[in-house]
Amino acid sequence: MTLLVQAVWGGILFGAVYGLMALGLTLVWGAVRFLNLAHGAIFTVGAYAAYWVTSSLSLPIYLALPFGVLVAAAFSYLMHLGFIRPVLGKPGFDNSTLMATVGISIAVSAAAILIFNPEYKVVPAVIPGYTVVSGVQITYQGLLVIAISLALFFLVYLFLTYTRQGMAIRAVSQQQEAASLMSIPVERTYGMVIAISGALAGLAGVLLSPFFFLNPNSGFNPMIQALIITVFGGLGSIRGALVAGFVLGIFNSFVEVFYGVAWAEPGVFVLIILMLILRPSGLFGIGEVRRL
Amino acid sequence: MLEVKGLVAGYAGSEVLHGIDLVVNDGEGVIVLGPNGHGKTTLLRAITGLLPPRAGQVLLDGKEITRLRPDVIAASGVVHIPQGDLLFPDMTVTENLLMGAYHRPTWAERRERLDRVYELFPWLKQRGAQLTRTLSGGERRMLALGRGLMAKARILLIDEPSLGLAPLTTEQIYASIHKVKESGIALLLADENANHVAGLADRVYLLETGSLVRQGPADTLLKDQALLESYLG
Repeated sequence: MTLLVQAVWGGILFGAVYGLMALGLTLVWGAVRFLNLAHGAIFTVGAYAAYWVTSSLSLPIYLALPFGVLVAAAFSYLMHLGFIRPVLGKPGFDNSTLMATVGISIAVSAAAILIFNPEYKVVPAVIPGYTVVSGVQITYQGLLVIAISLALFFLVYLFLTYTRQGMAIRAVSQQQEAASLMSIPVERTYGMVIAISGALAGLAGVLLSPFFFLNPNSGFNPMIQALIITVFGGLGSIRGALVAGFVLGIFNSFVEVFYGVAWAEPGVFVLIILMLILRPSGLFGIGEVRRL
Repeated sequence: MLEVKGLVAGYAGSEVLHGIDLVVNDGEGVIVLGPNGHGKTTLLRAITGLLPPRAGQVLLDGKEITRLRPDVIAASGVVHIPQGDLLFPDMTVTENLLMGAYHRPTWAERRERLDRVYELFPWLKQRGAQLTRTLSGGERRMLALGRGLMAKARILLIDEPSLGLAPLTTEQIYASIHKVKESGIALLLADENANHVAGLADRVYLLETGSLVRQGPADTLLKDQALLESYLG
């Protein structure tokens, strides 16, 4: 029983945590069609911003959290202005954005070392403490992360479906030229998507750091997990990111609990390879045909 | 109202339009007639900013709008219904229409506009929840027209309304455009068939290899069969 609870809890937490990262990644892919390899760096920026508020300013984490989110969103938007907008619609867009985002990632971890030093930092949990269910520690922070992640998936869905700006994002992703003829400012809309995605990454950074500690490369692993989820769920699909996060999380967690940690990652990759053979564009892949 | 002066435009390496001068007055129906590949689409794209012109001016009420971004030009009331319709394929019919009214700030205004367009094309209301990618060619054209009307258009630029449509559907489309014109919106129509536009046109320009070679009132120009045949074949 303990093992089962442990596997289910671990799986759901994994799904919520990395699903939150995958949401931002898939949003940018779906709307702007670029793979944001700086997504992990933005996670790190948000986490360090919150850490700075709690450590240097000695303010509580619930004030640091919104600050971290804002800094991450602002950072993301500056990245758009500096590196994405200038190459929009130009030949070589894919290559230059990949290079730029990898470059930004390297610069962010170097800056984190210079400003904060490479040691592990502790970001406090928003709600400390835990309860025990059949011998498994259920942290309150974990429950909070699951609730926030699910709520954000729902909010992003509502935003894209029912609001004017959200609909404009879908319009731009489906038919850019027509969107501009409908007087939608295309570049500004892209900037908005990238800022929202950055806010989501920053939020993930602040909320997840209590589990893992914070270091200059903290964002790398979550981004890789998010990439895996996004590929599994279908690049650009929000529903895909949600479902894939939980499917992969629970699968990963069960393999880990029942067959040992060593099998978890190979297991996940076998599942993904099978998936890509059966459905090359992922679970809910919008592939090249369907858009957000 | 809309004035084009010495417009030169083209794509990498080739100039398509060699200095176009054209005027559309308030509420007027102006037709640019010309065979395929002579620059009709390029002309409309250059006016609405999708293809920034190389030289010349586009003026709206005497104010220059040349080289503004397409979304800014659209917001000023110059609405372009492009070739190929360019609908949003994974949105419903209603969502497509609502996007047409993007620059209207409130939902109340957008809903009100939607009702007006539904009145004009009741068909669109029945299909409101349908995904646009599942529509037929005629339905798509109708939706593109409706979406264009959702904006507060002062002038509607329509690129070959009959392209690829069956004769019956073509008739319906032109009947709809007629209603649009009666509501006081000016039209700049690019077409290659003189028969379709007879009732809509106040003035006609003939476009040949990127230059306007003739212009005149529709009554006289469209009746000159010999002239039309020599240009349009």
